[in-house]
Amino acid sequence: MSAAMRNPAAKPETADGPVVAVRDLRAWYRLRLFGVDREVKAVDGITFEVRKDEIYGLAGESSSGKSTLVKTIAGAMRPPLEIVGGEIQFSFMDGTMGLNRAPADLVERVRWRHLSYVMQGSMSVLNPVRRIGTSFFDFAFRHMGLDKAGFEAAVVAHLARVNLPASVLKAYPHELSGGMRQRVTIALATICRPQFIIADEPTTALDVVVQKDVLAMFRSIQREMASSVLFVTHDMGVHAHLTDRLGIMYAGRLVEEARTPDVFARPRHPYTRHLIHSLPRIGDDRPRSGLEGTPPSLANPPSGCRFHPRCAFATERCRVEVPPMEQVAPDHRVACFEKDRVEATP
Amino acid sequence: MTGALLELDSVSKTFTRGGLFSRTQVEAVIDVSFRLEAAKPEIFSIIGESGSGKSTLARIILALQTPTRGVARFKGRDLATLRDGADRHAFMAAVQPVFQNPFEAFNPLKRLDRYLYATCQRFAGAKTETAMQEGADKALRQVGLSLAEVKGRYPHELSGGQLQRVAIARALASGPSLLIADEPVSMVDASLRASIVNLFRKLRDELGLSIIYITHDLATAYSISDRIIIMQKGQVVESGDARTILADPKHPYSRTLKESVLEPLAPGERPLFAR
Amino acid sequence: MFVVLRDLLRYNGEFLAGILMTGVVVAMALLSFVSPYPPLDQFVAPMDVPPSAAHWFGTTSRGQDLFWLLTYSIRNTLAFGLLVAILSRILSLSIGLLAGYRGGWVDRVLMSINDTFIVIPLFPILVLFYFVMRDNMSWVMLAVLTALLGWSYDARLIRSVALSLRHREFTQTAVFSGMRTHEILSREHLPFVLPIVFSTSLNNMNWSIGLEVTLAVLGFTDINRPSVGGMIYWANQHSAVVAGVWWWIAFPVGLVVMLFIGLYLLAISMNEYIDPRSRLERGGGRKE
Repeated sequence: MSAAMRNPAAKPETADGPVVAVRDLRAWYRLRLFGVDREVKAVDGITFEVRKDEIYGLAGESSSGKSTLVKTIAGAMRPPLEIVGGEIQFSFMDGTMGLNRAPADLVERVRWRHLSYVMQGSMSVLNPVRRIGTSFFDFAFRHMGLDKAGFEAAVVAHLARVNLPASVLKAYPHELSGGMRQRVTIALATICRPQFIIADEPTTALDVVVQKDVLAMFRSIQREMASSVLFVTHDMGVHAHLTDRLGIMYAGRLVEEARTPDVFARPRHPYTRHLIHSLPRIGDDRPRSGLEGTPPSLANPPSGCRFHPRCAFATERCRVEVPPMEQVAPDHRVACFEKDRVEATP
Repeated sequence: MTGALLELDSVSKTFTRGGLFSRTQVEAVIDVSFRLEAAKPEIFSIIGESGSGKSTLARIILALQTPTRGVARFKGRDLATLRDGADRHAFMAAVQPVFQNPFEAFNPLKRLDRYLYATCQRFAGAKTETAMQEGADKALRQVGLSLAEVKGRYPHELSGGQLQRVAIARALASGPSLLIADEPVSMVDASLRASIVNLFRKLRDELGLSIIYITHDLATAYSISDRIIIMQKGQVVESGDARTILADPKHPYSRTLKESVLEPLAPGERPLFAR
Repeated sequence: MFVVLRDLLRYNGEFLAGILMTGVVVAMALLSFVSPYPPLDQFVAPMDVPPSAAHWFGTTSRGQDLFWLLTYSIRNTLAFGLLVAILSRILSLSIGLLAGYRGGWVDRVLMSINDTFIVIPLFPILVLFYFVMRDNMSWVMLAVLTALLGWSYDARLIRSVALSLRHREFTQTAVFSGMRTHEILSREHLPFVLPIVFSTSLNNMNWSIGLEVTLAVLGFTDINRPSVGGMIYWANQHSAVVAGVWWWIAFPVGLVVMLFIGLYLLAISMNEYIDPRSRLERGGGRKE
């Protein structure tokens, strides 16, 4: 492993250091059952960190491994997924494995208080037969250290932040619209003022008009609490307008990472470049082309750089060697041998 | 000579929900009219969010549901009168759907090619094994694949983009004159979306196929549509030439919709939710 | 299929035990084909001999060798269970799949018939049939009757799966590929319900065999056809337990209990195959 990968050259902007640091993480699915015998290297050597007070975006398409990465960081691994190597370090707890293999009582203390989630399906968090207020009590009461009246006042005040009336506490989840439910889950995830929030496709199921409101609200609450967010979605439009830094995943690896505007203005990796150029825009009539070739199979990924079979810039070296993640500009890392040629091409 | 391929005349659909005592009426589609000319193949987009009635409209056009009021006609034939098997069969040969989720569009336990063979056999009159294979190959070549790539494969062996192409090929195998594509790219990876969108354009130009493209995504609608209608709560709020409307929507809802689209950043553009 | 069996045998103790127990019972049934005694012959062996080298399970008060009699009995009992399972599967599959796929009034009609069968008290009805038909009540007749009364629970289960299959897009693809209803049911939907059918038919066999044994013990079946329940009936008629001929009761009861447990274990380990997640949990737990 190269020194560049071990040690992300980008210095944290705040004195506190990163809230989450992931180093050379490898998480594989190992299946050996019912005649299936294979290893799926869904996360294969990923290094990145989420700094204090930022929204770090993670973009990737199907079979990019982004949902596996989220599961690993959230400590929501179930067999056959296992961590094969690497480290996950949180600023708020000891250990190099994050929540995985941590004792149950520690996980209990850390979840919601320091680390929380917003998922795509709000119904998976909200119990359909319990009122919203009860859900708040279940999740947050013991972490807040308040008496009942104080807790209720805090919840109502917090709901106002996400533009929800106090009356939703009396409602059942099915009585609310999709947008309101997603606001409730965001309120649930943020009420304990956690340092770190994992948001996994939180607005994908919402309509565009509602999505815009929810994202604006999400940003304002993040700004107010100065929390760090790992925001995962495949929607590049959401990344463009919300995230501060953006990591692009392809076939289980990070291929590019930069400040979000730089990813869109100066993509250096051929995959990122193609992805951004293929997105349609209203009012832009230039022809778009789809990416040729087949998406990679994580069970049997291409050798060397995993993008090389679909890459117009690929050379012999790309077929053999794995390109390391290298710093090319402040806060901009790319894993490509041909990055200079890519940048020089209009 | 009417010359209409598809004609919707004040079509409404009302669903009744609830049981014996508390019935509520939901108006899914209210008074929708439009017309597609047989002589002028086009890509006609129906744009709307969830609950706008666009999927109900699709089911009405596919004759899976009958309108509560108004008439939907395909080549002059009222779709509500498609009762018996032979009529419906002839209709299905001419109007074919492409669904939203390519991973769901085929039975995961079955090989893909059998859907193509079945379509060729039932609708295109292919009698022998060879004729079915030829028909399937021809349809697959129209979408940039070939039978050799698909034969004997199961759905999980192909990518979403490829599967959606196979789904389109299957629809083409019956020799249709109208394709109803309900959110056909929303589950396809962004990097592969453009090729599907380009394919629709090619089918319109080369095969003279009319396509009804149903979507919530204004950007892809802009890039392929000739005409659009924008729906809100079952009603058409704006309709006409795609470029004119999307460049400068007049109806307040259409404006809100356009403003809510999050597009990739242009150089120097400021993000909407910057810190 | 072979690898699935291999892995089930390797990792799943219940499956192994189930296979062994059912295997022993089936082997017993197969032995009937080489039996030295015809099944209905009586007084061909000494009476009331305890288990010994000459008569492994002893002999009855009617001069029958218990071991060889039991091979016939278990064969008949198994055949009954299998026949009921097959017949009731045909009913529950076709009704469940059709009701789930067609929905609407078809579903309502079929399910109201189904629910009628669910609430019918089946034991009194079978007894009633016995009293009406008496000697005309053959075991095939009884099997058909039991099957007619035993399909409804599983039809509901199958319907619920078919109901969700109906709304999946591939069903629409099949419709627009020109496939007809029976093709969609048999080719598109059947493969999804087969695993459940497999597991429920094992349970159904248990249920019907239990029913048959109960009826036979009470004498409500053709008592001259050897069956496990029939053997217990005759043993009771001869007050076998009081007379100290315990083996006449013990071996039939032991064998049928073994069959029950074996089939039950097979059914629950099938579940593990149907829901591989539970399998993986076990595998993962071991790895740590």
